[in-house]
Amino acid sequence: MMIRKLLALAILTYKEGVRDRALFGIGLFSLFMMTGSILVVSMFMRELHKVTVDINLSAITFAGLLLSFFVSINLMSKDIDRHTIYSVLSKPFSRSQYVWGKYLGIMLLIITAMGMLTICSSIAIWFTKFQYLVYFQGFSWIEFYKAVYAELLMFFMLNALIVFFSTITTSSFITLLFSISTYIAGQTIEEVVLFLKTKHAADMALSKGITTIIDVVQYILPNLSVFDLKTQSAHAITISWNYLAAITCYSGAYSIVLLIMASLIFNRRELK
Amino acid sequence: MKRQSILIVFLIVAMGACFFFQKNLGKEREIFLKENYMGYVLPSKITGPISLEFSGIVSDFLFLKVSTFLGTKFIQNEKLEEKHAKFIYDSINILTDLDPWFWDAYLLADTILTWDFRRIDLANTLLFKAREHRTTDFQVPYHIGFNYFYFLKDNANGAKYLLEAARLPKAPSYLSALATRLSMYQNQYAPAILFLNDILKTTQSSELKKQLETRLETLFIMDSLEKEVHEFKKRFGSFPDHLSDLVDKGLVESIPDDPYGGKFVLLENKRVYTTSKMIYK
Repeated sequence: MMIRKLLALAILTYKEGVRDRALFGIGLFSLFMMTGSILVVSMFMRELHKVTVDINLSAITFAGLLLSFFVSINLMSKDIDRHTIYSVLSKPFSRSQYVWGKYLGIMLLIITAMGMLTICSSIAIWFTKFQYLVYFQGFSWIEFYKAVYAELLMFFMLNALIVFFSTITTSSFITLLFSISTYIAGQTIEEVVLFLKTKHAADMALSKGITTIIDVVQYILPNLSVFDLKTQSAHAITISWNYLAAITCYSGAYSIVLLIMASLIFNRRELK
Repeated sequence: MKRQSILIVFLIVAMGACFFFQKNLGKEREIFLKENYMGYVLPSKITGPISLEFSGIVSDFLFLKVSTFLGTKFIQNEKLEEKHAKFIYDSINILTDLDPWFWDAYLLADTILTWDFRRIDLANTLLFKAREHRTTDFQVPYHIGFNYFYFLKDNANGAKYLLEAARLPKAPSYLSALATRLSMYQNQYAPAILFLNDILKTTQSSELKKQLETRLETLFIMDSLEKEVHEFKKRFGSFPDHLSDLVDKGLVESIPDDPYGGKFVLLENKRVYTTSKMIYK
């Protein structure tokens, strides 16, 4: 029964998302980038497979980011801004179910969009490969799809963050600001932590307070750079299945924690 | 209707003006860029974090920027200066920080820094960086070995790295033989021809291809002239004093023109070289 309710909400959110005009703009932009990759690669010397994969994976990621930051946030805040949430909550849905249903709907939208873009990317890569077969010796389809999968895991986490921020803020702009900031911090936190372990950082003699803060923050902030396998995929460097399993578990656990927290906060939130 | 026609006429005129100004701006911009050379690149400590998870595509963009810069210089036959060597080294160093497996970038730097600037130190620094990451790629030690052997005249290190390359997967069969017979090739153009031919075969960029073909053609001429110099010694018991002696004695019909615009000369050590130093005059 509960699953049916969640699915109903998810499908409703998904349908609402599909109707968003921004989706077409994002799709067109990505397709433009992918077809552009066929033309751009001719300007390179040998590693055409690397450039093709770089452009296509970046297009998929960028489209996913635009979708998350604009369509997902809009889907979350629209109900509250337009007061349509009352009609939804007047139905036999709990607030927690609302949060989880929304999240599932958003993820369904992201999975569909990424699936379609991956098919378009595969066609663009296949076409470039067909044109420059000699320069595609170091290309691997499996590694390409592994990188797409890792990106999808990143979006699972990022959208859980968006849902979480939507429940604690009252404005979609603040949610956008928090989400973008957390995304940037999540992509760079690993670099900061690694830098602190170098000799150069030791020479800088940072105060104990700062190092303690960074130590704590690295466990609170999502480490989004672990999902970035684009460079490895571009060079067909094999990513172990163990690594993929590890990032799957990380993404799943972190997203569940965020969604439970979002449900708890949303349950107590006063809707005006 | 009339108003619309006037608007269309204005639109056509505005489009013409736009095209004209843009064309003129292109010329002005070229002069501006020449006068205000900015050979700096942002260090990877900055480019790394700001490129977020798009470091691959950022490295492609930086590479395209460097190769376009070089392509323009080659097309316009502009003289490359020492500051350009630093710019190339810095750019490639940064973009290989973003993507440490990017072989095209290492190779471009190696080809330009060695042949055009004779900065073997910079080229080898980048190649050793490539060696740390591309551990199974025979091309990396192959190029290091060649630089030691051909440019630094260090046969011991040349052989060491060529042997290392020969042991790696997909290495051409002639590598081990080349490594062991390295001393035989000392002071000859043959390995350079072999080496450049290898690069040419795998190059897709038409600009770089043209550049390599000219270099290869020059090396071919110098190699054949040197062979004739040795033939001269065999026949007449002593080396010629000038290349023109080869023409006088009928060994060659004429001394070919240097594709770079210089003149082929016979050095005191009886090696053939060119006054252009394989740089466009």
